[in-house]
Amino acid sequence: MNNYDKLLKDLAPRKFKKLGVIWTSLLIIIIILGIVAYIDQLIKGQVVTNMRDYSLWGIYISNFVFFVATSFVGSVAVAILRLTHKTWRTPLVRIAEIITLASIIMAGITIMIDMARPDRLLNLFIYARLQSPITWDVIIIPTYIVISFLLLYFPLIPDLAILKNHFKEKSPFLSKWYGKLSLNWTGSEAQKAIQTKSVKIVAIMIIPVGLILQTIDAWLFSTTYRVGWNSTNMGAYFISGAFVAGIGALVVVVYILRRTYHLENYITDLHFDKIGRLLTLACLTYLYFNINEYLIPAFTASVEEEIHLRSLFTGHYAPLFWAVTIGGLIIPIIVLIFKKGRKPLPMFIIGMLVVLGSWWKRYIIVTSTLLHPFLPIQGVPESWHHYFPSLHEWLITFATLAMALLIITILVRYLPIIPIQRTADEQEELKTNKTTKS
Amino acid sequence: MKVLRQNPLKYRFIILAFISVWFFNMGSQNLYAQKAKKNKVRLNVEYVKIMDGEAYFNIKASSKVKKKNTKVSNIDLSIFNVLEDEKILLGKSKTNSKGESKFVLKNTNTLQADSSYTFNFLITFKGNDSYKKAKKKISFIDANIEAKIITKDSVNYITATLFDANSNSPIIDESLTVQVQRLFNPVRIGEEFNNTDDSGSILVPIENGIPGIEGNLAIEVVLNESDDYGTVKVIVKAPIGISIVDESTFDQRTMWSPRNKTPIFLLIFPNLLIIGIWGFIIYLFINLFKLSKS
Repeated sequence: MNNYDKLLKDLAPRKFKKLGVIWTSLLIIIIILGIVAYIDQLIKGQVVTNMRDYSLWGIYISNFVFFVATSFVGSVAVAILRLTHKTWRTPLVRIAEIITLASIIMAGITIMIDMARPDRLLNLFIYARLQSPITWDVIIIPTYIVISFLLLYFPLIPDLAILKNHFKEKSPFLSKWYGKLSLNWTGSEAQKAIQTKSVKIVAIMIIPVGLILQTIDAWLFSTTYRVGWNSTNMGAYFISGAFVAGIGALVVVVYILRRTYHLENYITDLHFDKIGRLLTLACLTYLYFNINEYLIPAFTASVEEEIHLRSLFTGHYAPLFWAVTIGGLIIPIIVLIFKKGRKPLPMFIIGMLVVLGSWWKRYIIVTSTLLHPFLPIQGVPESWHHYFPSLHEWLITFATLAMALLIITILVRYLPIIPIQRTADEQEELKTNKTTKS
Repeated sequence: MKVLRQNPLKYRFIILAFISVWFFNMGSQNLYAQKAKKNKVRLNVEYVKIMDGEAYFNIKASSKVKKKNTKVSNIDLSIFNVLEDEKILLGKSKTNSKGESKFVLKNTNTLQADSSYTFNFLITFKGNDSYKKAKKKISFIDANIEAKIITKDSVNYITATLFDANSNSPIIDESLTVQVQRLFNPVRIGEEFNNTDDSGSILVPIENGIPGIEGNLAIEVVLNESDDYGTVKVIVKAPIGISIVDESTFDQRTMWSPRNKTPIFLLIFPNLLIIGIWGFIIYLFINLFKLSKS
């Protein structure tokens, strides 16, 4: 077996084994439960949620912000590393691109779930006001979805052509589809030139668009003057938070796929070490913006700000706030500083902590502020002073998370998770270099 | 059938009994309607005269229904000018949903007073199915107020004189209110009671710093619900207030205006960004097409 055949054997998509089938079935069951809950929400209205006049945004919006943040991994891990010519990125980029696409699609769907009348979605375009951050959001999310798709698709084309030939005998049906999607790729110089140029453009473009997306997401909050959101730090704070969430998610998915598909020869400890360093940088940056976000208001707090901060530091939200800050940020930094902490298993555990921390962090950002309104309502029911998601909200949210994972699972099932052509080229290059040197 | 043949009269009697009961019921219903208790209507009338403006009656109709004061709406009222031996119908009016009616006295010159120069009026309600008939008399002597703004030692004052319209003699010791018109309710200036002196006059200082559109103030001097003269009001407009600067941004292009007033920079930059980004996206899709054809 020559090197190329081994590559194909290792990296070409494979049928799910028993575990894969159970995993996919589990995701589908969670999604069906969520769809049932959503249909009930459509019929009865959002009264089935625990969102009321105070907490008018809840778990749906925090989940939306989480998805938007996670999608930033495409800008960071793929585009920046590509443009800075970091060769170690090769086995990680496809996975990052898949996470990006799945997350941003689910962000778009989640925001629609939060609308009580999704049939009025078109009104957001028809009556759009360019002054409104909602309009900016409505424009940027579809844009980012398209760019994320192109970021995944362009580098994939040569691999699709390889898979077309690979599956010609094994599965003519799959081969036919790979052939269609490979756009008659022959690897000619003209095709390579167009593809290289297009990949470069999309890699450059996704960085500013990703930054705009995260910033708009932050401005959705900071333009409302609300305590806890009214901060000029918010854009940078969200970008750095997205940096953390995206890389955290990448670490988790990379670890699971590495173990499942036995890719230890391709995704090595070196890759975990490198990505661990990147995650440390992300966490340190986010910690810095967290200090900015909380320390200055703690010094200059108005009465309302003080109440808000007290609820975070020592009040109702304190256990969650400190769990998220320490568990999702400080512990990862401490562990990742050490080389042993950047080994695959510790990295996976840290990645899980970071992802969980990122999700709950957004929950804190959204709900704690809303429970301290500018204009308190007289005679408001006691229950409005508190918010915890209802069963409907949990089921629907879990379903959206399951949908994101299902998109990743399906793409992983049918696409090579490590670029075959590029890995082959790199190996060839390495061999040539060695021969030249000797 | 056998039974019917046996005693046909019995069934005729039953039908007759039914018809009798029906007629009796009809009669009893009429009796009931006649016995229905009608409520009393209470009419409250206020005479208001605005100098160099209109004079009118403010009529309010109310009734106590089930021990609750209720406004009586939609009833017809007739307004008469009463002389010693005759009543001249001035016009008719109808109460609105709030039980109120404003009857403007047109051609006040044609109104006739009695020998003591008192004007007498009668407001009547003929009654209807729900309410008994009612009437209310109102009398007043025609009075005028003249007012002007004067400035003494850099202090603005309003001086007003109340006098009998017929004899031009001053009306002494009546309380006048000075107030400045505001959007909803007027705001009082000076003391609550400003009694007219021997010359029928009052002098009230106007504090500085009262805001008005372009500095204009509409100051009212009011004789309020006097038993003899009714309500008499004069409005003096004077540019002695502080000008209100109109800070409305309604017509400007702002971040909070409707979309037809979007700020220009927001039309330019986001659209440039959108066109730029989507331009590249279209270019990339064209490249996909080129790839398939090359």
